[in-house]
Amino acid sequence: MLSRSAERLYWMARYLERTENTARLISATMHLIYDLPYGVELGWRNLLNICGVEEAFYQRFKNPSEQNTTRFLLADMSNPGSLLASLAAARENIRTSRELMPDEAWQQVNEMYLYAHNNLDSLSNRRGRAVYLQEIMAGCQRFTGFMAGAMSRSDSARFICIGRNLERADMTSRIMDFGTVLLAENRSTKMREYETILWLNVLKSLSAVLMYRKHVRNRIKGTDVLNYLLKNPDFPRSVLHCLDEIVHCIKHLPNAAELNPHLEQVELHLLAIDIQQTSPEQLHEVLDGLQTQFDGLHRQIAATWFLKNLEG
Amino acid sequence: MATQSIWAQYSADKAYDEMIAAGGKPRDACASLSQYLQSLGMDAIKGRLSAAEAAIMEMGITFTVYSDEGNIDRAWPFDIIPRLIDFQEWQVVEAGLKQRLKALNCFIDDVYNDQQIIKDGLVPADLIASSSNFRKECLGMKPKFGSWANICGSDLVRAGDGELYVLEDNLRVPSGVSYMIENRVITKRIFPELLENLNILPVDDYPTQLFEMLASLAPEADDTPQIAVLTPGIYNSAYFEHAFLAQQMGAELVEGGDLLVKDDDCVYMRTIKGLEKVDVIYRRIDDLFLDPEVFHKDSVLGVKGLMRAWKAGNVALANAPGAGVADDKVVYAYVPEMIRYYLNEQPILPNVPTYLCSDAEQCAYVLAHLPELVVKPANESGGYGMLVGPHATQKEIKQFHKLIQDNPRNYIAQPALALSTCPTLCTDKLEPRHIDLRPFILQGQNSFVTAGGLTRVALRAGSLIVNSSQGGGSKDTWIINREQ
Repeated sequence: MLSRSAERLYWMARYLERTENTARLISATMHLIYDLPYGVELGWRNLLNICGVEEAFYQRFKNPSEQNTTRFLLADMSNPGSLLASLAAARENIRTSRELMPDEAWQQVNEMYLYAHNNLDSLSNRRGRAVYLQEIMAGCQRFTGFMAGAMSRSDSARFICIGRNLERADMTSRIMDFGTVLLAENRSTKMREYETILWLNVLKSLSAVLMYRKHVRNRIKGTDVLNYLLKNPDFPRSVLHCLDEIVHCIKHLPNAAELNPHLEQVELHLLAIDIQQTSPEQLHEVLDGLQTQFDGLHRQIAATWFLKNLEG
Repeated sequence: MATQSIWAQYSADKAYDEMIAAGGKPRDACASLSQYLQSLGMDAIKGRLSAAEAAIMEMGITFTVYSDEGNIDRAWPFDIIPRLIDFQEWQVVEAGLKQRLKALNCFIDDVYNDQQIIKDGLVPADLIASSSNFRKECLGMKPKFGSWANICGSDLVRAGDGELYVLEDNLRVPSGVSYMIENRVITKRIFPELLENLNILPVDDYPTQLFEMLASLAPEADDTPQIAVLTPGIYNSAYFEHAFLAQQMGAELVEGGDLLVKDDDCVYMRTIKGLEKVDVIYRRIDDLFLDPEVFHKDSVLGVKGLMRAWKAGNVALANAPGAGVADDKVVYAYVPEMIRYYLNEQPILPNVPTYLCSDAEQCAYVLAHLPELVVKPANESGGYGMLVGPHATQKEIKQFHKLIQDNPRNYIAQPALALSTCPTLCTDKLEPRHIDLRPFILQGQNSFVTAGGLTRVALRAGSLIVNSSQGGGSKDTWIINREQ
């Protein structure tokens, strides 16, 4: 398999996962905000923070209103992390990798992009936005489902799997960042009243409610949720599970041995995190550290398999 | 309310019409189609057009056009009314095209080796020396099966007399075959009931044939040669086709940066395992950009040392470098002679009468008759740099007068043919529009011709320019077998 192709498939998967995650995150936040009474210290601003685009946002807008925030996160092409920009990038990567996947793969992503692009007007109202996000999430899942049923478990599929899981782990760890607000010692009484609903929505953004309930069988508690999202080995969106998937794929790739020390290091780092002992103030830093580990893993992958600008 | 016939206002009397004969009756091969369209009625036909446009968007069938605002991917302009050719007629055309490519390959092989045809005085020596597609670096080369031009796209036109003529042979990097295949996919979606009842030859075996032809070129007998399609990259106007063909063949789609030639004069591609040897390259890059070591020094599209590897016999290139020497409109004029000379056969398909400006007598005729002629530069493609006499202004005629006088070798002229027309959906009625046909011919160990080809249509009323870069569209082409 060409190094160039490996790189394109990896990014295609990352961008598609980012597209789906952005849709999920905004959809869940919409639900959450409808449930909350006015004045709770949680809002669209937190979403900007989680997506790591606060600075870019304030360069363009003053007010983190629902309209401004959702537009920036969904439709703004100047925000490279926006849903539309991610989907456009995924489409470009798949357009240039058509020789690696069944025809329908390209057509599905192309159709989804055309839908996203042609229906931007519907984003301005809540109902239209909900339908739009639903359609995008369903489109991403159709793609994942199609690939599961039509793509050989070859190196191509492995690079797609690695890209998807790296992005997924990254997003889960970002969503866990909600905890720094939700668990803050000085949080308002109102916030405390709504605690269960808030954590429920965090789980909902990852489609994790049912699986969590079956696993934990207890009242929903913040630290339990965080622990589950971080270390449950079976839930597909938990950080540990994503890492396991990545490790599994990497082991089957050529020249994988070089990555072993790095993979071990990420795993040790992850397992050493003790949520019970982590204060809400420390949580942000801990998650940051985890994201840095995954970023390092990405660079290692690129150095091992992607096209280098070398002579000879 | 009585429905008016969709053919009531169709006037097929300006040129030979492919569907409607003089007097307004459909030709035999087209009777079912014309009846069917009539039974649908105009509104339903327009409905099928919307369905086709949606399919083209979803399938992402595009071509890239260059403009001041950068490159834009445009939806493929497709006319839903198919163009029909009777199988009986097609069998003759198919044999004629194979014959032609065989003779052209004999000629190219001769040019780079013994040059017997020049010694025998059939082709003037300076014709070769002055051809901008002659590559002296290829002298002495002997590609497998004597086949230099492995993929050829020949343009056919039907003139007023109802005969099909060969207008030119594209032997460098002819494109359009992917659209031929996709056009059929769209037709299947929008006219399924029609295809069910007629016996139309399938077109989708081309990628398989291309794959087998390319595999037959591999330097060493090998069951699984490594085949790659070399593209200039994602900004090339034909990138869609490069990716399409690689995908359909299951071959690697590579850019120059993916390949390298090592000291052993073998070509390798950079993979996740390390370097892997490549046996056959279907290159979609012009000769001059192939190898900066030999041709354009600053080419970033090509691969350093590729010519070295090819000359050492370690990799097959299709088409072979230098094959374009026969893709010269002056050389074209000699093709009927070549067929007699190399194959000892009579040409099956006629050439369009061609005046060579390099010949003083013919040049004088051309200069005196410019308003009636079509003048073409010898080495351009894509319909650029042409003069269409009957449609030209005084100023343009003057300009070409001078161009030809300054560089006669670079120009040929042909009578302005009344290209045949075919019913085409224009806003809310069917109108005749001029068309041509580009079949694709393969030659490796064996020869193969596509069933039909890409019919290109000039969408502007009266226009003769069918190139997609200049407002042309395309049609599905049906070779229809009425026996059985």
